[in-house]
Order: sequence, then C-alpha cells, then structure tokens
Amino acid sequence: MNASFLLFTLLNTGFILLVSPFFMSLIKKVKAYVQGRKGPKLLQSYFDLRKLMQKEVVYSPNSSIIMRITPYLNLGALLLATLFVPVVFIPNAPAGIGNVIVFLYLLVIERFFTSLSGLDSGSAFGGMGSSRLMSLSAVIEPTMIIAFAALAYVLKTVNFHEMFAITAGSTIPESPTLSLISISLFIIIIVETGRIPVDNPATHLELTMINEAMILEQSGKNLALIELAHAIKQTILMAILINTLAPFGLATELTFTGIVISCFYFLVKASLLAGLIGLFESSIAKMRLFRLPGFYMMAFFFSALTILMEVFI
Amino acid sequence: MITSFLADQALLEDIVRILFVFVLITAAFILSTRNIASLLTVYAVQSFLLTLIAASLYLIEGSEKLLAMAALTLVSKVLLIPLFINVIGEKIKISRDLEFNYLEPTASLLVSMGLIMLSYVFLSGFFDEYVLGKLFFVGAVIGLSLTLMGMLVIFSRKKVMTKVIGYLTMENGVLLFGIFVADLPFVIEILIVIDLMILVLLTTILAIGLDSTKNEYHKRLQTLKIWSGREE
Amino acid sequence: MSLLEALVYGAIIALIFGTILPLLYRSKNTRKASFSLSFFSSILLLAFAGTVLYTGKEPTFPAFGFLPGLNFTMAADRLSAGFILLIAAVVPGVSIYSIEYVEYAKSEARKDIQTVLTNLFILAMLMVVLAGNMVGFLIFWEIMSLSSLMLVLHDYSSEENKKAGIFYFIMTSLSTAFLFMGFISLFRLTGSAEFGHLDYAASILTLPFLCLFIGFGIKAGLVPFHKWLPYAHPAAPSSVSALMSGVMLKVAIYGFLRFLLSVSAPEIWWGVLILIGGSLSAILGVIYAFRESDIKKLLAYSSIENVGIIFTGIGLYLIFKLEGLEGLAMLSLVGASFHAFNHALFKSLLFLCAGSIVHATGTRSIEALGGLIKRMPRTAALFLIGSVSIAGLPPANGFVSELMLFQAYFYSSALQDPLLKVLLIITLSVFALTSALVAALFVKLFGITFLALPRTKCAKEAIEVPQPMLSGEAIPAALCILSGLFSNRILALFGFDFGIPDMLVIGLLLVGVCGFVWLGVRNTGFSKTPRRSKETWGCGILAQHPTMEYSSIGFSEPLIAIFKKIYRPEISSTRTYSDTKECIFKDGTTKIHFPKFFEKYLYLPVAHTVNVISFQVSRMQNGKLGTYVFYVFIAVLTLMTFTRYFA
Repeated sequence: MNASFLLFTLLNTGFILLVSPFFMSLIKKVKAYVQGRKGPKLLQSYFDLRKLMQKEVVYSPNSSIIMRITPYLNLGALLLATLFVPVVFIPNAPAGIGNVIVFLYLLVIERFFTSLSGLDSGSAFGGMGSSRLMSLSAVIEPTMIIAFAALAYVLKTVNFHEMFAITAGSTIPESPTLSLISISLFIIIIVETGRIPVDNPATHLELTMINEAMILEQSGKNLALIELAHAIKQTILMAILINTLAPFGLATELTFTGIVISCFYFLVKASLLAGLIGLFESSIAKMRLFRLPGFYMMAFFFSALTILMEVFI
Repeated sequence: MITSFLADQALLEDIVRILFVFVLITAAFILSTRNIASLLTVYAVQSFLLTLIAASLYLIEGSEKLLAMAALTLVSKVLLIPLFINVIGEKIKISRDLEFNYLEPTASLLVSMGLIMLSYVFLSGFFDEYVLGKLFFVGAVIGLSLTLMGMLVIFSRKKVMTKVIGYLTMENGVLLFGIFVADLPFVIEILIVIDLMILVLLTTILAIGLDSTKNEYHKRLQTLKIWSGREE
Repeated sequence: MSLLEALVYGAIIALIFGTILPLLYRSKNTRKASFSLSFFSSILLLAFAGTVLYTGKEPTFPAFGFLPGLNFTMAADRLSAGFILLIAAVVPGVSIYSIEYVEYAKSEARKDIQTVLTNLFILAMLMVVLAGNMVGFLIFWEIMSLSSLMLVLHDYSSEENKKAGIFYFIMTSLSTAFLFMGFISLFRLTGSAEFGHLDYAASILTLPFLCLFIGFGIKAGLVPFHKWLPYAHPAAPSSVSALMSGVMLKVAIYGFLRFLLSVSAPEIWWGVLILIGGSLSAILGVIYAFRESDIKKLLAYSSIENVGIIFTGIGLYLIFKLEGLEGLAMLSLVGASFHAFNHALFKSLLFLCAGSIVHATGTRSIEALGGLIKRMPRTAALFLIGSVSIAGLPPANGFVSELMLFQAYFYSSALQDPLLKVLLIITLSVFALTSALVAALFVKLFGITFLALPRTKCAKEAIEVPQPMLSGEAIPAALCILSGLFSNRILALFGFDFGIPDMLVIGLLLVGVCGFVWLGVRNTGFSKTPRRSKETWGCGILAQHPTMEYSSIGFSEPLIAIFKKIYRPEISSTRTYSDTKECIFKDGTTKIHFPKFFEKYLYLPVAHTVNVISFQVSRMQNGKLGTYVFYVFIAVLTLMTFTRYFA
C-alpha cells in the first residue's frame, strides 16, 4: 500500500461512484429523444437514488439474511472492481489489483448473490429472473473470456493497469485486434447491463424481464444500493472499452493536471459512448428469450474470429 | 497527409485484417438470418467489404487489375445483383426463411469455425505461409472458408432465395481466394460475373410466383398450373 | 528412525487401531474412540506432509518383504506429501462428523461395520499414496476399492443401492484390470516393480499410458467412464461420499500423476488427449448435474466436473512442458493439484452438509425442500461457504485454483504452434462456460434447498442437526476460506511463486469495502428509515403458497432449452377435457424424461455384448465332474501334441 495507490482508491472509486448515475440518465435521455419525448432530467438518477434511500424497506416474511446482505455485497464487490479499472490515473497498485480474472469474478459475486436474493422471497418472478440470468450469463461467459483473453494476447499481460499503461500512450489502437475486441466489449456491455435486445430495463413485464425480476422484492435503500451497483458496473465496463479503443488522455503519472485531464476526457468519451448505447438500444427490438443464445453465439463467433486472426497473422 | 496515410503499408494491412473478420461475420449472418431483406443487405455489405479489400490491396500492391476488380465488384455485386434480387423479393412476397435443414444456426456457426480451421490446415499443406506472406495466406484461408460457408448455406437453408445468396457467397469466396493467391485472369472474373447475372436473372424468371421451396416448385410444374404472379 | 518416519508410523498405527478396536469392544464409546484415532492420525499426517513439502526432505522407510522377490516399500516425495496433505485436510472433518452421524445407522452391527470400514478405507487410501512400488500400490488400491464398495452396499436392503453396488463393483474392477495391464507392461519394460524414471521413447510407452489413463480415468470419474459416481454416491452414507469424492478420486489422480511425472519424454498427443478428456468431463459433468434434483447425485456430477478441471490442468502442464514453457507448465500443474486439494475440501463439506439435510428432512430430492435457512441456519451458512467456494467466488479457495488455470490459458500466446493455440482457445471457452455453469448450478442448489418457503411437510419440520456434525462441517468450511485467503502464503511456503493476485489483499479489501458501504448507509442519516414486513408481491393473491415458487427443474429450464441437443429431453403429456370438442381442459399430466445418453449408447451395448459372450461360455459349464475331467483330458492331449510338433 503506497500513497499513490491510496489516493487512487479515493479518487478513482469516488469519481466512478459520482458519475455512474449520470450515464444511466443520459442513456434514458438519448432514448427519449429518439422516441420524440423529452425524457428525464440529466440528474434524475441522483434524485431517484436519494428518494429510494429515504423510503422504508419492505421485507417479505419468507426472506432471509441473503436478501439483507445482497445489496451491501453487490455494491462492495462493484466498488472493489472499480479499483481494477483505472480512469483518473494509473497507480502503482499492489500485485493482483487489476487482474482481469479477479475482475470478472467480482462481477460473478454480484450476479451470484443477486440471483440468490431473487429466489429468497419465494416469488415466481424472482425465481424466473434468477434462472434466466444465471443461464444466459453462463452462455455469454465464453465470449467474455475470449474477448479478455484476446486483450491479454495482444498486450501480453493479464493486468488491466499494465494493459492500459501500454495503450494509454497512443491515440489509435495499437493493433487491429484491439479495434475488433472493442466491438466484443460493446456487446458485453449491452449483455451485462441488461439492455435491449437482451433485456429491457424499462419494463416490468414477465415475458421480457430478467434483471428487474430479481430485484422486484427489493425496496428502499437496499434497492438504491443495488441500482447504484448496477450503474457502477455499467461505468466500469464502459471504461474498459474506452481505455482499449480510445485510450488517449489517460494519465500514467500522478499529477494534478493529469488527473483533471483524464477525468475530463473520460467524461466526454463516456458520454459519447452512452449516447451510442442509447442509439443502439433505440434502433433494435427486444429479442425473444430463446433467440438470445443464437445472438450470443454470433458474439462468440466474432470474438473467436478476432483471436484467431491474432493467432494466424 | 492523405498520401502518407495511403502509403502506410502496416496500417493498410491492419485494415485488411479487420475486413477479413467482417467478411466472415457477414457469412455467419447469412447462415443464421431469417429475414430475406436483411439477408440481401448483408450480402451487399459483404460484397462491399470485398471491394474495400481489393482496393486496399491495390494500394499495397499497386496492380491495376485489383482496382478494376474492385470496380467490377462494386457495380455488379453491391449494386446490380442485390437490385435484381430485391425485385424478385418484392414480387414473390416471401420475407422470411425460417426453416433449416441438418444444421441449426447455432450449430452451423460452430461448424463454420471448424471449417476455418480445416481450411487453414488444408492450405498450409500447399502453401508456405512465409513465402506467400502471412496476410496473403490468411486471405486465401478466408476465401476458402467463405466458399465452404456458402456451401453450408446452400444445403442448410430451405428457400430458393436463400440458396441463391449462398451461391453468391460461394462466388465471393472464390473471388477472395483469387485476389490473394491464384492470380485469376481478369477475363475469367468478368465471365464469372456475367454468369452470376444470368443466374440471378434466371432465378428471377423461374422464381417469381413460385413460392418458397423447390419441392413446391416441382409440384407446380407437375400440376401445370399457370403462373398467376401472385402469392396465394 | 527420525521424527518424520515416526509421524507416519504413528498415523498408520492409529488407523489400524481405529480399524480393529470396534471389532473387539462393541460400544458407542469405542466407535467414538475409533474416530478420534483417525482424527489424531490426520493431525500427525498434517505435520508430516507439511514438513516434507516445506523442507523437501524425503523420509526413508525400510522395505518389508512378504513374498520372495516381492517387496512392499513405502516412499514419500513432494508429490505424495501433497496428496497426504489433502487426506489430512479432509479426514478431521469427516471423523468428527461421523462420531454423531454413524449413530443414525439402522443397527448396532451396522454402526460398528461402518466405523471399521471407514477407518480401513482411510488407511488404504493413505497407503496407496505412500506405496513405493507397484505391488503395494495395487494391493492397497484393491483394499481401498473393496472397503468403499462395502460402504456403498452399506444399506444393502434397498434395491437401488444393490444396483449401485454392482455398478460400482464392475467399474472399479474394470479400473483395476486396466491398472494391472498398465503396470504389468511397465514391469516388462523396466524389469522392476519400483516407481522410477521411465527413460523410454513415448512410442514404447503408448500402451501403458493408455491403460493407466483409462484405469485411473475410471476411478477418477472421467467422462465417459463417469457413470458409477451418480449411482454410488447417493447409496453410500454421506460421510463416506465425502471421503470418496473428496479423497478417493484424488488418489486416482495421484496415481496418474505419479506415472506421468516419471516419464521423461512424453508426446504432445498425450497432453492433447488429457486436455480434451478433461474439458469434456468438465462441461458434460456440470451440464448433467443441472438436470438432477437429487442433492447427492447433483454433487456427484459436480465431482465429475471438478475432476475434469483437474485433468485439464494436467493436460495443460504436459503441453506447456513439451513446448518448452516451464513456468506455465508449473503453474498449470500446481493449479491442478491445488484444485484437487480445494475440491477435496469443499466437496467433502458439501457432502457432509447434504448428509445433514438428508438426515433432518428424510429426503434427497431438493424439489421437496425449501426454507431450510430458517430451520437449519448453521448448516445453511456452512453450505453457503461450500457453494461460494465451488462456484469460484473470490476470495474462497475454489477461485484461486481456477484463477491459476485461467492465467495459464491467458498466457498461452507464448506457444508457437497455431493449431495448439487454437485448441487452447477452444478449451478455454469450454472452461469458462463450465465455471459459469457451476455458479448457476449452485445458485439453484442453494436457492431451492434453503430459500423461500418449504415445499413439503418434511422440510417444514426439519430441525438443526446436533453439534458434532456441525463441528465436523465447520472444519472443511474454515479450511476453504483460510486456504483461499492464504493461498499465496501457502504456495510460497512450499516454494511456488507464480505472481498470482494475493487473495488476502482482495479479501480484506472486499470486507473493508462492504463494511464501508454498510457504515456509509448507517451513518449518513438513512439508518432511521422504517422497515416493514409484508407478504411477497404475488399479483393480487391473498397468501403465498410454496407451489408458486420456482422449482428445481423449472430453474434449469432455460439451460435445458439451450442445451437441448445434449439433454434430448423427451416430453410426454396426457390431457383430458371436459367437453367433446377438447376445448375445456380438465386434467392432465406432463412428464419430462431425460434419457441417459452414455448408459444407453455405451454402457448397455457393452454390457449386452459381454452378456452374450458369457452366455456362450457358460454353456460349457454343466457342473458335472466328468465333463471337467474331459476338458482337462483334451487340454493335456492338445498340449502334448503342441509341444512335440510345434514348439
């Protein structure tokens, strides 16, 4: 533990925590504009979180401790994951922080406990959500691993910090494979954050919902924590994509101006990406649940081709 | 600025590598897409990617033949053939091809991955990738696998329209292979394109009014029902 | 005799006493003493294995000659010490658990027999690992198989258990037969029964390799030889299942490694075969586990999956080693061994908990359970630890070994051969799919068993099991977490440093961050928000009913649909209607049947062929003395003619 890392912990985590809800509203806003509506305020997610924090928590009498610890574990795991993805500057981190596989499994912690809490209240909706989420996330896992393995292949390291230290110096991606990987990463963002065509975050209809079904029984501040964790997950996945595809601006040294510039660039780039996600969501229809494995297969085919190209050439 | 950009060999090769992946992705879409209009768009995109590959290769190699090839592909396969097929599509009013023979889309994607591997192994027996240049070798591999995937489309999809697109994909594979390895005389390339046009025209004539599958087409021929020009 | 040897002798003597005592004095206290002895012996073994691994000093044991020309020798190097450590880690929990658990057996005699056999089983497994030559190895291998067979047949009155016992017997005999073939061909090559370096070309060693791969593969439960596991485990008492799954499978892996590491020049296709076999077992194991609702069967299939992962690591080791990547080879080998160790811990924990659940509710079907977290909170907590470990969530131990294998895969770009790279990419994606499916599987197992409302009366009336059983479960649970947190320290202690992430840092950070969130929520003015308990929302129904909950098979449904080609579910339904036009539905049943693919297409045809041949042979046996003398007469005449003219 050195001073640089301690500062990084505060700044990086604090910054991501602060901006994450903004991107949630931004995507909603873009979608609303495309549909010809005015949409929510850009700070609406912050108001919602505040509102939820103040509301009473309702527990089902069937539910157990799982339901109560899940929100804290979720947010804890995701906050820990923010340390793995440098956004403000690249610190001199202790060994292991930034490891790709640990990062992926921190996301699994979130998924595992959310699914358990879905089953906890005994509601059919919760069970349905858990069952669907765990099944579909299992099927997307090979694509994720292949995409991250391709990153490791190209950059010859399994640590995000080292990866981004390599990419940060250049304005365009070092290798064509990196541009291809970013497309896989985009698909992963869509799938992992439960967006159209995989899941529709705006509905509570049992035919379509996956993620919302599991947290249907959560309320009050617990729900706020889960929503916040979800927003953070989206931001760090976006950050990985941004640092891979358009890495310019990320500070590799600890300087005040460097941090300000990094934050500024990240905000601009992430807003653009959020806009892109909103447009993508608006331009495509929700897929039928059992067509999804086909879609995932296509994503897998794509990532596999990417890594095959890397192997062959 | 632009000239220096165009002269950057490494960058051009990178672009060609990216295009390779997209060509295969379009083939994968042709294997699994159910909507015929999108299928046609995907085919046009695929042909356009081929145009781009030929053009980039022209910038790398400087052989005028490649530029001509690119132009020919652009005119014939990106514009004319899709246009013809679109006309058929509108006439016969079939918008979907939902059925699959032998292979489901998911399985056929797995099979195509195997095909790419097989092409690689097969061709590495014939060419030395270091003599040929890695990019050209992989180009040949992609061309061969595209041909095989086209064949996969022909036997795994039911409707005549899809089969035609499968055939066209195969031809794109041959073109790709030709660009990178075989040095096909340009005349032959023109002949093939004319051939394709005739094929598409013939399909237009035969398929209009004949809905969907070949079986039903044969049935119609047997009963000698006169073409009404409308979907029933 | 130094202290090291004394530790081993002490452990062996304690186990022998543990085996004999209950036969001499038959009482509850003797059984207690017997399990205490096995607990004690495992402490000795722990000290022994730790010392050998730490110092690298190899103890020497005198040879025992029990037949002219055939010696039994004992030896222990770092490999065997690693597996002795594994035994020593599993046995304490099982012994303490068994003190109480064995008393649930039906009669006094059965309690004694179970005690005796459990001790004998542990002793045999220990001796297999300690054996210095093939003779000892095979003898104790057979004792191990037979004692576990007796334990599987423990509740022999049930028809199902009889079938399980016979199945297990056949498979284990087959395994031994292959081992004999493998060892005999090795013996013919080297002329000695000792385990030593095999400096031969790989082409000569092909036959022994294949025989040993199949022999050990059967015992370890590698697909397609895995079928005995889901039969034997439900039949055996849970403490024995824990030993069988936790230790016995690993003993088979030990044997295989012992052979493989002694070969000086293996070939690349060995590695490819092992890697593909391992990946296939891993993915099929977890996919088949998903359709099960029987908790012990499900865990048995999950063992197949974990054995697959271990073999994957071994295959990677061989490939990397032959391609000259020593660092990655070591990483994979230690990863595989560490996964064996971790699996021993969490699988024994899960089987012990399953035993508690079965004891408390009287059923193995999780479709009948639910809501146990309220009725058996401690078992639930321990089971959750097991599930978290096996699902590979950081910082538990299951994660660390998977991390090591993933890391080895991720660095495989250093390989030269593009085709090998592609193979590794394919198996990597299979591995990723497996690990994600395991997480899904244990969400299902834990969620359906412990959460929501109880589905039947037996689950509703369940009560927590007595303290000794909980303590027995707590030992592996604690070890799961500790060996995860201190994985770097432990590996460094034994001389391995791979630069993998330090789980202690990650674990502390995780706890710290969760605590920070909790404190943050508490101290920022939101702690006063009211709480209320209200019925689960059910779209307007008045009271919630357990039948509305998701069931085990319902949970698996999306995956069954996705992997339709593998499950090939056969759905049959009957319907009756209230009217003649079949509009108003009256009553109906639907059955989903999963055909047993390997049983149908591999086991039964083979069994059938063997049956036909045996029938033909049995016609020669009519039981009359005269006929047999006639056979002998013919044989003698043939021999005489043969030796005179042909030899």
